[in-house]
Amino acid sequence: MTDDELDQHIRENLLAEEIDPSRVEGAVRAQIHSGPRNVPRWAAVAAAVLAMVAAGAFSYHSFLQAKSTPPVCIAAAQDHQREIVDAQPRLWLTDLSAIQSLGEKQGVPASAITALAATGYRLQRARLCFLQKQIYLHLVYSKDANLYSVYLRRRSSDPAFSRSVRSAKAGAEDLAYFQTNSLTAVFVGHTPGASAAQFANASARML
Amino acid sequence: MPSRQEEFERIALPHLQSLLRVARRLTLDSSAAEDLVQETMLLAWRGFRQFERGSNARAWLFRILFNVFYGEGRKAARVARPFASRGDTRPALQEAAEIAEALNALSLEQRSVFLLAAVEGFTCREIAGILDVPIGTVMSRLSRAREELRNILAPLERSKAKEAYT
Repeated sequence: MTDDELDQHIRENLLAEEIDPSRVEGAVRAQIHSGPRNVPRWAAVAAAVLAMVAAGAFSYHSFLQAKSTPPVCIAAAQDHQREIVDAQPRLWLTDLSAIQSLGEKQGVPASAITALAATGYRLQRARLCFLQKQIYLHLVYSKDANLYSVYLRRRSSDPAFSRSVRSAKAGAEDLAYFQTNSLTAVFVGHTPGASAAQFANASARML
Repeated sequence: MPSRQEEFERIALPHLQSLLRVARRLTLDSSAAEDLVQETMLLAWRGFRQFERGSNARAWLFRILFNVFYGEGRKAARVARPFASRGDTRPALQEAAEIAEALNALSLEQRSVFLLAAVEGFTCREIAGILDVPIGTVMSRLSRAREELRNILAPLERSKAKEAYT
């Protein structure tokens, strides 16, 4: 088989694959139309300066609070802020069996996902995400009007995690984290008074 | 005069299928591929002011895609998930599965170069720009990829030919 024949054989095969870009296209259109339009340059500069000052003050405050928190938990809090609080348009799975199948591929047993729901929190949606260059299953649960993010992956060797639930704050986010024999779990909540630790404690007993 | 959004849609969106095709072969997972392409598009949109009108938009988008892929440690996202099963008895699907497996057997670097050259039709010079590697590296990776694919696919082709005669 010559180079051209080989290329053509594989090209024809791959081009015959059905690829439906409509979901991505919809999400991309939503993203590009959601940003601010026609903002005067001076307003953008002023906003940037204010944002930098605020971010500096906030970072220093966060640094003091979060220096003992595992980096992956800080990353989870940032992800929760972006994906849930700011509601960036993303592709989410909402079907339980599809979510369980996605979880199984990442070493998260289907039973863990249903066990969390048994604590009185309701599973809303899920997707995969990267925290500190590792893949986590990001599950979103709701209770009352509050949304919680739960990040699960196969147990890692991070010594900051233990079987007992630890809690922390990262900016406005409320964090709780622990690990079982098979899983590493990070819980994030945003609403004051709605404790991620409460959810994590209930879950630790079920997992 | 078209808005910036309309111009971006006109220039970038027609390449979604190509980007998804390559992303699926990189991540080996449909949802991870969609996520990768969505992030690529978001970065492209943010950097659209710097995009030189009239230059190669497809190469620009692929360059962003590979930057996102390598930049976020997505190599770890390689989840074995063939798009067709080898057990499928329909000949076309069985062949697709064999080709998928052969491609998956390549190193990520070889697979990237092969997909860009053989499937997406980029020149070695363009691929060197997309992957930010010397052109000589592109050529040697492409040559090794083809050799590897031949080694994997040839016995399968031979057994198929044998079956056809018996």
